[in-house]
Amino acid sequence: MNIIEQLNSAPLYLICGFIILCVIVLSVIFMLRAYRAGLAIGMDKIVLKRTITSSATFTVLPSISILLGVIALSGSLGTPLPWLRLSVIGALHYETSVADVAARAIGLSGLNASEMTLQAFSTIALLMGVGIIWGTICSVLFTKGYLNKIQSSGNKKKNSSFGGFGDMAMSAMFIGLISAYIGSYMATLTSKGNAIPLLVLACSGLVMSIFMYFIDKKNMKWLENFSVAGSMLVAMACAVLFGLFL
Amino acid sequence: MNNEQKLKYFADYNNGTHTIGRIGVSLIIIMLIGAPFVMGTYLKAMPDMPAFWAGLAQILLIWVPSSMVEFLIYTPMLGAGGTYLAFTTGNLLNMKIPCVANARELSGAKVGTPENEIISTLSIATSALVTTVVIALGVLLLIPLQPVLKNPVLQPAFDNVVPALFGAMAYRYFRKNLNIAILPLVLMSALFIAIPSLISSVGFMIIPSGALSIAIAWYFYKKKNKEVN
Repeated sequence: MNIIEQLNSAPLYLICGFIILCVIVLSVIFMLRAYRAGLAIGMDKIVLKRTITSSATFTVLPSISILLGVIALSGSLGTPLPWLRLSVIGALHYETSVADVAARAIGLSGLNASEMTLQAFSTIALLMGVGIIWGTICSVLFTKGYLNKIQSSGNKKKNSSFGGFGDMAMSAMFIGLISAYIGSYMATLTSKGNAIPLLVLACSGLVMSIFMYFIDKKNMKWLENFSVAGSMLVAMACAVLFGLFL
Repeated sequence: MNNEQKLKYFADYNNGTHTIGRIGVSLIIIMLIGAPFVMGTYLKAMPDMPAFWAGLAQILLIWVPSSMVEFLIYTPMLGAGGTYLAFTTGNLLNMKIPCVANARELSGAKVGTPENEIISTLSIATSALVTTVVIALGVLLLIPLQPVLKNPVLQPAFDNVVPALFGAMAYRYFRKNLNIAILPLVLMSALFIAIPSLISSVGFMIIPSGALSIAIAWYFYKKKNKEVN
């Protein structure tokens, strides 16, 4: 059995599937409680049902884009782990960058299928699990106190001004992260003569610019849900061509 | 139900939400941390702990502040039930937040009200269930495709997932924040080209690059605030 077959074996599906099932059960409990509480406090049944219907339809398209993310990661990590990570806590851009940092920490040149080992996989799985769990831990520890404090103080102005730089700081952090990676791809070209990562990056950016043209100029907002995953898949297809011809 | 009864009922409901949320999410956290060890036992390859700690040090510096910021910003909007579920099921920015905003707009609920709490929880729970079902169906369909995905011709695609992601993200982030992006991008490119051995330490280089970007963003934020005032 080769490594990808082992990473796609039934026990790994069972482990990941069980955790996903627990999340489903938790979601169902919250949903039923909220629905009953809504009726009990006098909310209109139609409003509650419309919330469920609109949220379900709103979610279908982004869910397909998340599925494309599972496909993108499945070549290097197998299917069960990306399935778990993108169903619980994760988001495509977080998971991919953390997996790459984890792969480098264990001595691989990055997140790539050809160098993957079983120990690298279990280490990456642990780092992906622990690395992005902090928002969830915050929710367990601080939600009650934080919401009580906000409701009692009612100091919305202070909160929104913090939020103003909070958004900007998150964007800036990503810009810093992406800049470091682009720098490394430039050096990969100049020092190793390998242009593929830089070309793939350029292709992905180009495809994203086409997506943004249709989203912004043609008002095709629904494309927003597919823009990142779509750009990635086209760029990955280009990587196959570069691999064949460069 | 009069107003007083309604408030009491809702306070009890909220307390129950916190109890279920804390217990349920704690169990899921334990399972998520335990799963790699269970997988490692099955695969006979336990995680490499020195490499784990080295990687974690890099990741923590980046993701802990961002997780805290996300928690502080989005919790008031999501309410108690929404927060527990959204931070457990993930995909906050690209799905849960827009989904809740859409549901709230349709229902007309205001932030901080019992109605918002109910709408937000219903919306996120529905969204989480739909996502899980769509991905699970997709994964079932992926199983027969495995031989195709393993073809060596396709390996360059899977070796370049990260550049493929960052190209798209770079376009999105850079075009809106060019004033923040230019200096870190030029500096990092020059540094990596001058010292190619840094390629293997890109995880560490994220830290100075991120710090520089945040400092530049702070400068522009303060400048903009001054202009507004």
